[in-house]
Amino acid sequence: MFTTLKIVFIAVVDTGLDLEISFNHLLQGIGLPSSIAHLLWLPLPMLLVLTASLIGVLVTVWLERKISAAAQQRIGPEYAGALGILQPVADGLKLLVKEDIIPKKADSLLFTLGPILVLIPVILSWLIVPFGQNLLISNVGIGIFLWIALSSIQPIGLLMSGYASNNKYSLLGGLRAAAQSISYEIPLALAVLAVVMMSNSLSTVDIVNQQNTAGLLSWNIFRQPVGFLIFWICALAECERLPFDLPEAEEELVAGYQTEYAGMKFALFYLGSYINLILSSLLVSVLYLGGWGFPIPIDLITHSLGQSPNAPVIQIIAATIGIIMTVFKTYLLVFLAILLRWTTPRVRIDQLLDLGWKFLLPISLVNLLFTAALKLAFPIAFGG
Amino acid sequence: MVTFFQKAAEYAQDAISAGKYLLQGLAVTFDHMRRRPITVQYPYEKLIPSERYRGRIHYEFDKCIACEVCVRVCPINLPVVDWVMNKETKKKELRNYSIDFGVCIFCGNCVEYCPTNCLSMTEEYELAAFDRHNLNFDNVALGRLPTNVTTDPSVIALKELAYLPQGVMDPHELEKDSSRAGKLPSEVLIKTIDNDTASIGEKTQ
Amino acid sequence: MTISTSTELICFLILSSVIVSGGLGVVLIENIVYSAFLLGGVFMSVAGLYLLLNASFVAAAQVLVYVGAVNVLILFAIMLVNKKEVMKPIKGLKLRKFFSGCVCAGLLALLFRVNIITNWATPGPQAIGEIATERIGEHLFTDYLLPFELASVLLLMAMIGAIVLARRDVISIELETTKSIQENIINNSTDNVLLNQSND
Ligand code: SF4
Ligand code: SF4
Repeated sequence: MFTTLKIVFIAVVDTGLDLEISFNHLLQGIGLPSSIAHLLWLPLPMLLVLTASLIGVLVTVWLERKISAAAQQRIGPEYAGALGILQPVADGLKLLVKEDIIPKKADSLLFTLGPILVLIPVILSWLIVPFGQNLLISNVGIGIFLWIALSSIQPIGLLMSGYASNNKYSLLGGLRAAAQSISYEIPLALAVLAVVMMSNSLSTVDIVNQQNTAGLLSWNIFRQPVGFLIFWICALAECERLPFDLPEAEEELVAGYQTEYAGMKFALFYLGSYINLILSSLLVSVLYLGGWGFPIPIDLITHSLGQSPNAPVIQIIAATIGIIMTVFKTYLLVFLAILLRWTTPRVRIDQLLDLGWKFLLPISLVNLLFTAALKLAFPIAFGG
Repeated sequence: MVTFFQKAAEYAQDAISAGKYLLQGLAVTFDHMRRRPITVQYPYEKLIPSERYRGRIHYEFDKCIACEVCVRVCPINLPVVDWVMNKETKKKELRNYSIDFGVCIFCGNCVEYCPTNCLSMTEEYELAAFDRHNLNFDNVALGRLPTNVTTDPSVIALKELAYLPQGVMDPHELEKDSSRAGKLPSEVLIKTIDNDTASIGEKTQ
Repeated sequence: MTISTSTELICFLILSSVIVSGGLGVVLIENIVYSAFLLGGVFMSVAGLYLLLNASFVAAAQVLVYVGAVNVLILFAIMLVNKKEVMKPIKGLKLRKFFSGCVCAGLLALLFRVNIITNWATPGPQAIGEIATERIGEHLFTDYLLPFELASVLLLMAMIGAIVLARRDVISIELETTKSIQENIINNSTDNVLLNQSND
């Protein structure tokens, strides 16, 4: 037992923590051809990330309820598990066993397809989220662009469910959601473009690596403070979080496009919105807060300790710290989003569109131009 | 061109001040997070209603003279005073009295104006019923003594915020005989009476 | 046949059948909303084909532009004017159908001809995969600069046209009162409009 563990350990570490290669080595050691090994490997990271995102949702739901309660001087969920930690599970189970209602006059096909179309692109976008140098499903060359493209599919699902519900509130909610995500996609993409310009790559791994040359100081938030703000505002708008939750504004639209949904279909929307929130926070931390990077570069610490950064133990520790840092930064941003939820009132639809088109869009264009100029002027600091 | 720059500068200033206000708001929300929850775990814990709480109305059948003043002062003419004129004694004879608490707005006018003080407001507020007609209390139901939070052994009675000592926000871990901030009405009353007697004494001297 | 080529073939077959049936559905289905959603599906499958051809950037751009923008706008337009009225019978519908069928058949014949006379066996250009993004950028800013700029000018013109159409109230006031448009825009605009006051 111990020796096999040791073999696994060495196999993992020898390849610079590239788990795929070590997995392949392991299976080839057993005597499987490499193509089969590859095929067996493929679903593993996907399943892992899917579980991670679902657990992330549970944690976020719990955090949201607890932090909201704290901000309002309440206690929040208390009885389900210690500190109510099982409350999201209970919520999920309740939604699972609830009756799945399709209204009589609704278009049942589109009604069913809508929530699925909302959820799938969000989950697919996890493809590019890195937790470490090799700890991501796939280092796609178009990286962050894939996320932008995928998130533009979402409004179709929202429009679909809004239309299929055969309900005025739903339709209005769907239209609002689509209008909102179309108008905020543009400043979002422009903000990302400025970052991409500095790191010369669309790949999320390259973007993080480029930020981790000097620890905390080289994080993009200092080079792109305006971009960071724009991205965060747009990300909130894309996630339909307060103050931008117009599509489901309960005072006006009951629950927007989810009005007619119940049971598991509603749970899909719910899941989608929370996964989207976590994803956005993850991407903010990847794009602006140095991703998995520790505020002090790991290399520096190992050097001062007189260790080689390639030693197996160091590598494992570094990878663990990386994952912890990513998750920590992400949840810090989730916390900020929850705090913002209880601080800001909802904007009106005209204010929302004004903010998007008349404020964020010109600012992000100026930001892009400025970044380009700085890049030409100081190629060392802003990516040659 | 100059006006454009002026406008742009104004706009930027606006944006910056908006950001500042947003941060202030965030700070307020954040500050609230370190405060203790003020949750009362109803139905295991209940707040003690204040002295002048306007809850369910108590009624004493024997005191009532069937004058119907309560009906007249009620904004919705709610109390039902069922009396007949006894021809022999030439007096009203009260047969029934009822108030429907599903309709009553607990304004307290009837209590205020009743000439014989047979109506009074209690601290009872748990009036939920499965049928709204169950809320139509007759004179027997109205005559029942109110349930009391402090004497119920299954309930932890908590003091309301105004009855806590100065600076205390949480009623849970309160010392036994801590008194509220400021004077109790009875203390104020005694003092004025003392003053009055003193002044009367001065005059007589 | 290795696993990868067979998966590729299966994917290709699925995608192309989705494209063909979806395209037919877009044209033939009566309910216009269904057509629009199917169009979105067709766009997605085309993006899938690009992916199969190892052109991931083009695929993502296809999704972003066609699904995320064009199709959503189509849906928007349909849903905003979602009048359920019975279509008036058009005169000579059969003849029209026949003519449009002829045009379509002609196009199909043309495509078939191209298909037959092209020598598919010769190896095409190698897919460059990841560096395609850079290469596209290079081409856009060197040999395709003029078409690129022309396209952006065209889009700008379309945008101005849309604004003119949308703000017809301002222009019709000008026709009636012979005040200049500029003045009106300034008078009518709210204070925080930064953009369209820049030239006064
Ligand atoms: S006012 Fe008082 S005494 Fe008169 S009828 Fe009403 S309850 Fe009776
Ligand atoms: S409390 Fe007010 S509403 Fe209720 S019975 Fe008395 S007077 Fe009428």
